[in-house]
Amino acid sequence: MSLLTVDNLSKSFSVAGGMVHAVRDISFAVERGECLAVVGESGSGKTTLANMLLGILSPTSGSIRFDGTELPAKRRASHRRAIQFVQQNPLSSLNAKRSIGASVRLGLDTYQIGERAQRWAKVEDALEEVGLPREMRHRAPSALSGGQRQRVGIARALACDPELVVLDEPTSALDVLVQARVLRLLNDLRTRKKLTYIFITHDLAVVRNVADRVAVFKSGQLVELGETAQIFTAPKHPYTRSLIGAVPVVDDAELDLRNRLAKGT
Amino acid sequence: MSTLLDIQDLRLSFKGLRGITDVLHGISLSIAAGERVALVGESGSGKSVIARIVLGLLQETRSARVSGKVGFDGAEINTMRPRDRAKLRGTEMSMIFQDPTSSLNPTFTIGNQFAEVMRRRDPKLSRAACDARAIEMLTEVSIPNPDRILENYPFQLSGGMNQRVMIAMALVNHPKLLLADEPGTALDVSVQAQTLRLMHDLVEKHGTAVLFISHNLGVVREFADRVYVIYRGNIVEEGPTASVFHNPGHAYTRALMDAVPRITGAGLPEVPEVSDAFLAPMVRHDRGAA
Amino acid sequence: MTRALRIIASNPLSLVGLILVLMIVLAATFAPWIAPFPTHNSAVIDFAFANSAPSSRNWMGTDLVGRDIFSRILYAFRISLVLGVVVLIIATPIGTIVGLLAGYLGGWTEAVLMRIVDVFLSIPPLVLAIAVLGVLEPTLTNAMIAVTVMWWPWYARLVYSIARSEREEGYVLAAEVIGASTTHITLREILPNCLPAIITKMTLDMGFVIIIASSLSFLGLGVQPPTPDLGSMVAEGARYLPDSWWMTVFPGLAILLAVFGFNLLGDGLREVLGAEE
Repeated sequence: MSLLTVDNLSKSFSVAGGMVHAVRDISFAVERGECLAVVGESGSGKTTLANMLLGILSPTSGSIRFDGTELPAKRRASHRRAIQFVQQNPLSSLNAKRSIGASVRLGLDTYQIGERAQRWAKVEDALEEVGLPREMRHRAPSALSGGQRQRVGIARALACDPELVVLDEPTSALDVLVQARVLRLLNDLRTRKKLTYIFITHDLAVVRNVADRVAVFKSGQLVELGETAQIFTAPKHPYTRSLIGAVPVVDDAELDLRNRLAKGT
Repeated sequence: MSTLLDIQDLRLSFKGLRGITDVLHGISLSIAAGERVALVGESGSGKSVIARIVLGLLQETRSARVSGKVGFDGAEINTMRPRDRAKLRGTEMSMIFQDPTSSLNPTFTIGNQFAEVMRRRDPKLSRAACDARAIEMLTEVSIPNPDRILENYPFQLSGGMNQRVMIAMALVNHPKLLLADEPGTALDVSVQAQTLRLMHDLVEKHGTAVLFISHNLGVVREFADRVYVIYRGNIVEEGPTASVFHNPGHAYTRALMDAVPRITGAGLPEVPEVSDAFLAPMVRHDRGAA
Repeated sequence: MTRALRIIASNPLSLVGLILVLMIVLAATFAPWIAPFPTHNSAVIDFAFANSAPSSRNWMGTDLVGRDIFSRILYAFRISLVLGVVVLIIATPIGTIVGLLAGYLGGWTEAVLMRIVDVFLSIPPLVLAIAVLGVLEPTLTNAMIAVTVMWWPWYARLVYSIARSEREEGYVLAAEVIGASTTHITLREILPNCLPAIITKMTLDMGFVIIIASSLSFLGLGVQPPTPDLGSMVAEGARYLPDSWWMTVFPGLAILLAVFGFNLLGDGLREVLGAEE
């Protein structure tokens, strides 16, 4: 059985002058332990989809089944623990007025994970797991670099002991070297903790190296879904080809591949 | 080729509550007339302050200390009177920013903003003449119905459109130097690719020199003739683009290149922690050695 | 803390504010020991020195019944400060909670709470206080109630505007996805981000509460004689202007200095607390 099944999911917003169909009739499934990349440009509906999976928005129609049970529109805390979230902006995703330890501890307190007296130790374990020193829990977010803040964001999500993690552009705001380290960390954590990822991004080069499967979104619709290797050797949809054609590349082998795929030959 | 921008031993420090912070430690960088030069580095490397020094903006900030030589078209920016520096901005040199929509004034129409820019060079220009020239420029950046766009406000246009308007506006006074700080980073990848190609063709046609500041190696490779790599306020490598990309000589440049994920799927690289090798002396590539 | 002091000290005006406020607080606290005539805070009569101009015995002169005005000002500071502190201690939490709930929850909660706030804000504060005191007896306690009733909506509005923009921040979203309670999100996540603005406003408001309280007693609606109050002292002295100018000028100056001091300090604090972000 798939961990997550999305059936005929749609979301529309009413705005001045009509309706906007942000997500239209989408169906897909995510298997346990895989990393599914959700790719698209602004307005593709990928963020709306993420918000529905996280229970921040309720769908207009369709269903989301997680681990065999259908998730209700109004989600209770008990539905939330297993699906966690890492945001794009490491600056605003942490409360500037609280220590990073307090931010990481929130999930432990909310779900009564571990004995109260042992929770600070668990917070330090969580920081260590993402490669941060244990004593960093006393620091304020402003004392951390962008990469360290993003690690804290990951530690906070994983402290809840989730099964599925929705990663919303987790490395787009980071420098190249820091991005590479954070991507490796995410990969290691997935294997070590048997996690399932939904990796939302616009960066196809990242997708190629982290995802098992790729879902390409355009104007709220799922236009192509396939194995990563297949998408990067024989993309079927013209939109996928045009996305690949726009990727900035650094070496000649990439340039050849890109130009070949963009032309569709 | 004559040298248009000649920066020698540029140093910058900021005075703050916690004492003095050094940002640039003696940068030398030159751009020939009509040359496209990229400055690549991570955040905090000091790449963006260089553009603000060339524009003469940081020299007027009280907490900043600038020393060294910034020669532009035979004049010395660092010792110039503030009024003369202001005259250069928008005429002899212009700038394109990361987020096009927020760098255009939302309360004026595109036409108004074009006229304002053009009158910096020639205050007596009539509105009709401004509009005619603006339409010409907008056509060059492939904007359909340019006469209608002149009546629009920036928020009525898409990000990609605004970026093109910015490019047209930056080039309308035939500047000798265009400073582009992470242009298009706020846009979608395909829109960014289009606008950069457009910008590339346009500056080539007009013979405008460009200082292209970016953290994105792939974008730099497609745009620039020559590359400077900056790390913590020092230039660590310089050379023709092809040569630097095929043969990165400095440990920091190599680490940057390795860290970029490839669409050919080489996997995720092991990235070294900050190492002493990153502080090694600068590597210079010979011209024409690509 | 040392950094905060350094920033305040680097701005001469906020340093003046800090010194003024400290002096007033010290004067009020130690009034019984500092005042040359500590008994003059009640209905003492000393006709031998009645209505005398400032002299070496009475630095600020005496009032109609011979009480030392300097001593009475020191005691009046006590009343003003206590009144200000009590009003703000009651008004601030009420306003803050209303503002947090309206700003974070939005929807119906926001509509209902903020319309109530608007109703209070649309009535001129002094008029509202006069109305309250017209119904109740004019005593110190009732004056405090009256001022509190008109003060909390300003805090509600301040906190509401901050909470509404903080609601969009990533850390609030993160707490929601984790499943944290509304109590946690408002009090532990959003409130700390409102505190700098609240503390700054409280400092500024100390000055304004003192003015409003003085205005009420000037009108005879606040603190009742013989308890010394800056407002009623000005009112009493105003009848004997310009001949016995000291009866009005010195209490008036005291009000001015108190308000001025709290305002300067508040502006300084805004800089200190704002700079921490």
